[in-house]
Amino acid sequence: MNEIKINRRQALQLAAALGTTFGLSTLPEPIRAALLPITADTAPKIIYLQGLSCTGCSISLLQTATISPLSSITTYSNLSFHSDLSAISGQQALALIDSFISGKDGEYYLAIEGAIPAGMPEACMIGSKPFGEYVAAGAKTAAGIIAIGTCASFGGIPSAEGNPTGSMSVPAFLAQRHIDKLLITIPGCPTHPDWVWHTITHLVKVGLPELTESRSPKIFFGKNLHNSCPRYHYFQEEMFAKKLGDFGCLFKLGCLGPITFADCPTRWWNGGSTWCIDANAPCIGCAAPTFALHKDFPFYRTESESRTKL
Amino acid sequence: MKVELGPVTRLEGHLNVKTTVENKIIVDAKCEGEMFRGFERILQGRHPLDAQQITQRICGICPYAHALASSYAQEAAYKITAPANGRILQNLIQGANHIYDHLLNFYQLSAIDFIDVTAILKYTGKDRDLMHLRDWVKARLATGKAHAAAPFLPRLSGDYVENADISIGALKNYLIALEIQKKSNQASAIFGGKFPHATSVFPGGCTQEARIDLLLAYKTIIEEVRGFIHDTYLPDIIAIASLYPAYWNIGASKGGFLSAGLFPLGPQQDGTRLFSSGYVANQKATAAPFDCNAITEETAYSRYVSQGPERVAIAGALVPDPSRGYSWIKAPRYEGQVAEVGPAARLIVSYHHSEDQRVREAVDRYLKKLNLSIFQLNSVLGRHLSRGISAAIIADYLLEACEQLTPGQPTMAAYKIPATGEGFGLTEASRGALLHYLRLRNGVIEKYECVVPTTWNCSPRDGQEVPGPLESALIGLHVASPEEQLESLRVIHSFDPCLACAVH
Repeated sequence: MNEIKINRRQALQLAAALGTTFGLSTLPEPIRAALLPITADTAPKIIYLQGLSCTGCSISLLQTATISPLSSITTYSNLSFHSDLSAISGQQALALIDSFISGKDGEYYLAIEGAIPAGMPEACMIGSKPFGEYVAAGAKTAAGIIAIGTCASFGGIPSAEGNPTGSMSVPAFLAQRHIDKLLITIPGCPTHPDWVWHTITHLVKVGLPELTESRSPKIFFGKNLHNSCPRYHYFQEEMFAKKLGDFGCLFKLGCLGPITFADCPTRWWNGGSTWCIDANAPCIGCAAPTFALHKDFPFYRTESESRTKL
Repeated sequence: MKVELGPVTRLEGHLNVKTTVENKIIVDAKCEGEMFRGFERILQGRHPLDAQQITQRICGICPYAHALASSYAQEAAYKITAPANGRILQNLIQGANHIYDHLLNFYQLSAIDFIDVTAILKYTGKDRDLMHLRDWVKARLATGKAHAAAPFLPRLSGDYVENADISIGALKNYLIALEIQKKSNQASAIFGGKFPHATSVFPGGCTQEARIDLLLAYKTIIEEVRGFIHDTYLPDIIAIASLYPAYWNIGASKGGFLSAGLFPLGPQQDGTRLFSSGYVANQKATAAPFDCNAITEETAYSRYVSQGPERVAIAGALVPDPSRGYSWIKAPRYEGQVAEVGPAARLIVSYHHSEDQRVREAVDRYLKKLNLSIFQLNSVLGRHLSRGISAAIIADYLLEACEQLTPGQPTMAAYKIPATGEGFGLTEASRGALLHYLRLRNGVIEKYECVVPTTWNCSPRDGQEVPGPLESALIGLHVASPEEQLESLRVIHSFDPCLACAVH
């Protein structure tokens, strides 16, 4: 995969795109986008399309607790199209999507959930047209692309070893097509609603958030999960869970916190009520770039086994 | 004339329905599943404990059902069972998830086919959410752009509810349901680790402890959700039904009814369940026991290298061929017959084959109240009513199950995974019967097969040219506008299709 780094030019491209979106004729620096209040006019329009996905990320977005589900789509964004919620359907839905993708540059953000079956375009069709064609065309006119979830960000399960569709992530697909576009990846299987809604709000109010090497917002994906785990002291004291269901550090059961960068230990899930480790469930690295990709790298270690990797 | 309904919105995934309409009657309908990932191939060669995680990603709407089906199949292969607490926790996790899914189907996915969203513009009350929605829709429409008030408007044309107060009331409940579904999922996640995609569910139980603080938090949420089911959800279903009574007789599928059974009432997953498993041939008054070996899958019109009807456990390799057939969905058949699965099928089977009288009693109460026959559950309104009744039964059961949990006792079985073995896992996802089968060799998965609810309901034609349940429910339907077909959407949404599940 060819890495595309977010450089200053792309940051400025975003600023220009934001300028177009907001009808501002000049917008000198992305940081100036800062102070923009979110109004019905500045809230970004989002065309949300699903590829090789399970809709888990969309359902996760509906679990948003720090902003309400209603405000997420009427105050903080304008959800111009989403297959799960849109009243419009069929040919009229296609016309709506097309009016954005073939419309003015920079009018909208393209949110992509799921991977792209690059090796078998028929494996994902929307209205008898391959999903990948929507992504390629949308990448030209959208203000930016937000890859939502691990499938879109890194490939995920549809792209795992042995898959029959030649599935790949959005960044890999754009690189293959030589499309250079502002791109943010927000992994997680599923993604956390805060990660997405807060990133979108950040784009409007503050501009582009600082990104990691894999283009994920550092504020959510900058810290190692293991190092910030509330059970880290059990690890230091070598108080390990020996079998599933035991309390303690879950490292010896195969916990993938050490290779995962996400703020789950402090953010928690479902309204801050729970998260995997608190349920004594080892982290399976669902926000990590390698999530589920390799057959010889299972999620768990059982007593008699050890991983060939990690 | 030929009209394509795809992409059909307000359901999971990629569904197209190709219809032929003559004199405003649908004379042909073909369901096309348009998305394929190949899970059964991806699972081959993997560690078996990966399966309950990987298969949850078949579907992010009903992942817990996959976690359970996979765990049951692995338990059968490992010859283990969960401790009493572990099974109860699995049921608590799955049950709250069923309730959320039913609410989502009714309010967010289906109600929009009936209620008039534009009624909000006439709202004069003081409810903050409704005032916000009214002002927002008004402002967006004032921009003059066609799609400004999406996702609520624009919409298809049709016979929406005329009484503005009823529509506004339903819109308020749409907004409340957005909050209630979150709470129900939060309850699941208290023991599941997170929702979607639970990490604590394993063959042999659940890694979360049976802690009293978690139990009380769970119970408090379910009590609130139960209140919403009885005070709002069921009355809303009945209100819509009273305005559209024709839909008690519209959208019937033309086959039998299959249920895989839901909520084991003891540690044994193959023991008695709250909702029974079994098969009822259409209009027959008896249920036959569920037999995994009676299921075959056909690919006469599916996009795979052609194979005859195959039994699940001995099916050959999955070889995709996009040039064949018209759908990525296979055509599962029970004893060679078409079968509908889902909330109506679940109640019809339990009604005729109840090991536990609670389901039959609850169904009888509503049938009597609404003057319906049991087989009228096989209709657009019947499926919605079945979801409402199921949600009420499930909420009662979950509160009862909370009392059966013994805090402090084990929630996970200890076990070693054998190098070889095989097993079936059966449960009900909210949208119908779910079967997983796995076979191990040399300690890894040699074969994995899933037969999933929407595989049944959105099945294409089989080798005998017999249409699947949704196809048969659409054929013969009268549509006011052949181009838009709001009536078809009502039929489709009543099945609550999940295409990611159907193909996987």
